[in-house]
Amino acid sequence: MKDEVEIVVALRNVSKSYKINEHSSVGVRDINFEAKPGELVLFLGPSGSGKTTLLTLIAGLLKPSKGNISLFEKQIETYSNVVLQRLRAERIGFIFQTFLLIDALTSLQNIELVLRFASRSKREAKHIVGKLLRELQIEYLADKLPLTMSQGEKQRVAVARAIANNAELILADEPTASLDATNGSIIIDLLHSYAKKKNKCVIVVSHDLRLKEYADRIIYLEDGRIVN
Amino acid sequence: MLYTIKILLNQPTRLLLTVIGISLCMILMLFLFGIYKGVADGSVEYIKENKVDLWILQRNSTNILRGTSILSAYQKERIKKNENVLEASPVLLLLTTVKNSDKRSTIFLAGYDPVTGLGGPPKIIKGRTIYADNEIVLDNSFALNNGFDVGDNLVILDDTLKVTGLSSGTNAFVIQYAFTTLTEAQSLLGFPGIVTCYLVKVKNSKDVIKTSKELQSLIGGSAVYNHKDFLANNIKEMESGFLPILYAVASLGAIVLTTVLSLILSINILERKKDFAVMKILGAPSGFLPQLIVQQAVFITLISGLMSVLIYFPLVSLIEKLSPEVSTITTPFQIIIVLSVGLVMGMLASVIALSRLRKIYPLEVFYER
Repeated sequence: MKDEVEIVVALRNVSKSYKINEHSSVGVRDINFEAKPGELVLFLGPSGSGKTTLLTLIAGLLKPSKGNISLFEKQIETYSNVVLQRLRAERIGFIFQTFLLIDALTSLQNIELVLRFASRSKREAKHIVGKLLRELQIEYLADKLPLTMSQGEKQRVAVARAIANNAELILADEPTASLDATNGSIIIDLLHSYAKKKNKCVIVVSHDLRLKEYADRIIYLEDGRIVN
Repeated sequence: MLYTIKILLNQPTRLLLTVIGISLCMILMLFLFGIYKGVADGSVEYIKENKVDLWILQRNSTNILRGTSILSAYQKERIKKNENVLEASPVLLLLTTVKNSDKRSTIFLAGYDPVTGLGGPPKIIKGRTIYADNEIVLDNSFALNNGFDVGDNLVILDDTLKVTGLSSGTNAFVIQYAFTTLTEAQSLLGFPGIVTCYLVKVKNSKDVIKTSKELQSLIGGSAVYNHKDFLANNIKEMESGFLPILYAVASLGAIVLTTVLSLILSINILERKKDFAVMKILGAPSGFLPQLIVQQAVFITLISGLMSVLIYFPLVSLIEKLSPEVSTITTPFQIIIVLSVGLVMGMLASVIALSRLRKIYPLEVFYER
């Protein structure tokens, strides 16, 4: 399933509109862009500019109203729900603004869970998590529950969860919005080095201007349109 | 299973309350089955233990639990004249009231012939059986409940009878047996010429059918049953009165169990909505989340089942101590049945709760800040 691709994601004239109380509201319109392995693409824009809609379209969680989305060089509509689920488990990593770790599980178990979703054996999952925690220098968090961790620690565990499967595409939704400057730069550093060292594609949507210096490309969004 | 247990243990108080609720439903079901078995055995133990070959009753009377049978008391010798009859003994059964100080209690009094012993108490657990007219054997739970013991006197109508013994296997839950002489019972009834039935032993068991036919034609207006059929008649009669109630209450218990469990599972799903939505986004296989819910139901049911069994026996012995007329018999088979019903209901509850799972939209997590 994991073939090397030249274009990880490509959007052609993508628009998404929602129907709210019989009124049509536009999420994004006429979006054209593509992202390659080894790139960190930053979508910058104020809230309501369509950043999150864009991210969910790329993840296959929403269908576009118009246009085409290509994911791992295949039209996204050709993927069945089961294949999309497997893609999200095996080839895509997610990072959220509010971390969204499972409260009842320790850091180790949170990371193990996505490896199990990707059909890794328990033993293999344990081995990968141990190695990953060492690499990210967060071994001390292994047995901690999210409720006992700081915001920065939670987001580092969330990054570990996103990259555990060696994901080819990381989709990060406001990854630094809940963090202070120090933790924010630790997180974006981690994502940047993942893109560069592992030659993976990282797409970050944010309104945090501090992230600009880490991005290979910055795309500005306003009212659902690219305004470069 | 790890995630299931972890998620449940994350709310220990709720888990405990749920387990207590489910356990109580299971205890209720165990108790009902125990009562049923206790009543079933208690109701027919008297018949079971009086191992005679034939029971002669008035025509149209099929049992002694819920039927009236009146026969002439002077048929004994005629019955005994049959060449195959080894022993024949009359029994008079009547409902009567025992007076103890200001308290009045009803008993099912069996008047029998102490010489033959047929129709007497199945098992004496304290004291001795009766020898004379002014003596009585009481059911043990009746005695405990009414403060009688061996050596005490009690009053029925104007007669004072001495308690000579206490019996077991004579508690039919709604009524308890007591035993006195046939003469005493007839005197209490005020009609010395009548009995309820005759218990007959034949010389050779091969001749039971033949003797049955001969006795039926000998005594006009009678019905003769062999022991097996008569026991079955009484069991059927007892079940027809008791089983519908048992099924109704047991079904209510099962419904409550299912409702409580599906409610708790639904609340769990709603509370963990975000977790489940995140799992969907992270690529949880389609069967993973339903499996999680089913596992929760199975886990809760099994823990509850274990807890119910642990609580049930001390609880029942306390109830039996407080209310001696309550007599339960619980077998491993009944426990297996209740646990199985609990498990099936648990699965059903999880299926009901699963509809909540389908209403979780992964996108929600992106917009809930």
